[in-house]
Amino acid sequence: MSPLLLQGTGIEKRFGHVPALRGIDFKIEAGEAVSILGANGAGKSTLLRILAGLSRPSRGNFQALRINPSEQTSLRPARNLHGRPLRRDALRAEIGYVGHATLVYGELTARENLAFAVRLVGQTPKRDQIDTSLSEVGLMEFADRRVGGFSRGMAQRLSIARAIVHDPQFLLLDEPFTGLDESSANRLSNQLAALRGGERTLILVTHDPRRAIELSDRALILHRGKIRATPGQSRQSDEATNASGAFELTALRETLERLSNRGDPVEEGGPANRFREIPS
Amino acid sequence: MKIAWALLRKDLTTEFRSRDRLIAMLVFSLLVIVVFQFAWPPMEPAETLRFAPGVLWVTYLFSAVIGLGRTFVMELENDAMTALALAPGTRGWIFAGKAASTWILISVVQAMTALAFTLFFRVDLSARVLDSALIVALANVSICSVGTLLSAMSVRSRFRDVLLPVLLIPTLIPVLTAAVQGSAATFAGEALPFDALQLLIVIAGIYSILGFLLFEYVLDE
Repeated sequence: MSPLLLQGTGIEKRFGHVPALRGIDFKIEAGEAVSILGANGAGKSTLLRILAGLSRPSRGNFQALRINPSEQTSLRPARNLHGRPLRRDALRAEIGYVGHATLVYGELTARENLAFAVRLVGQTPKRDQIDTSLSEVGLMEFADRRVGGFSRGMAQRLSIARAIVHDPQFLLLDEPFTGLDESSANRLSNQLAALRGGERTLILVTHDPRRAIELSDRALILHRGKIRATPGQSRQSDEATNASGAFELTALRETLERLSNRGDPVEEGGPANRFREIPS
Repeated sequence: MKIAWALLRKDLTTEFRSRDRLIAMLVFSLLVIVVFQFAWPPMEPAETLRFAPGVLWVTYLFSAVIGLGRTFVMELENDAMTALALAPGTRGWIFAGKAASTWILISVVQAMTALAFTLFFRVDLSARVLDSALIVALANVSICSVGTLLSAMSVRSRFRDVLLPVLLIPTLIPVLTAAVQGSAATFAGEALPFDALQLLIVIAGIYSILGFLLFEYVLDE
């Protein structure tokens, strides 16, 4: 099966009269690692929930496209085995999700939690598959212990094992470092870095530019529901995401600070100018 | 369908280990029976049998409300509700799994409640016990279907403890009417009244189908 690509055009999301996203265009290729950055209320988690199929856009088009294997440049809507367009609910099988909450049950053991996660995507759990995921996050020796007794760091690592156990194509991470101390966060970051590569796409929502640099190739910087900058080494060719300049911590921090303080697109001249800014 | 089985198995495993819902429902039901025991004026067993269906169904209904109120609370812990919403396929199967696990728990509690009633009030409810079980099983399908749907809708509300019974009980009045009528006949050793049975089957079918179809939207946002 050829890899999937996510594309959104003119995505808007409103909660009542309050706009959370105000016309967002993006394209995320298979195998990319992309961070979505922004201050609280910028619309990061809302965008991630739309990507995960947990929420519908109020306006705009979001679709999964499959690269045509015979012609690398042409894209076609992803289809299921019966040739029908891949529905939003079917796309969810390709998604592994890690949030600030762990999405696991305290009354079940680590192994039972993973087996349940596999069954939820319609697969039959295999012992090898579960053991491999537990080993990847260093929890093999706690496989048969109830999760209620786990520390926050262990539970978050189990949450990652839960997200990858069915080998999804997309790994969506919503502020996964929330509530972790520095050493646990570093360990988690290393484990997430190890999951990159191949055709697995990693999308990280964070307000921490350091983690974005560690884990992604490029970023979408959101401010008040709009993409204001797209720093990074993009492999894409369309104008909206063809960023130039280094993906570098100081510049990233300055961009975020300026947006946070002023609410305007970044002006010409400063270090942050290494990023291509998108006019509001 | 696999998702429904997975959820049923998971719910029963967690309930077996924590016994949260089971104990809460059982203790409440026994307390109601004890309260009725004290409030009840002395009367002959035959007279008691006339009131038994009403007393039992009021107890069944309110204990079911307690159980249904906690159906999705365990999914809020660690935001497991998001994991359910991420499951591919028709979300109606999540509804089916949840409703099935609640049906089993409620049925166990009701069996124990009926046993306690016979001991406290010294009456024999065993006449046509299979017919009685059929009435209870059918009514429980309606209670669990509409209850699971409303429980999912109200679980994120600050007023969920009040909201669920306020929404649930009016929708169950026709079920309650038919169930009491059916139970009264079976306790008296008579044949099942066809109109009550018909009503229970139709309502169970409607509520199950509605719950299955509407759950997609309940879980969406």
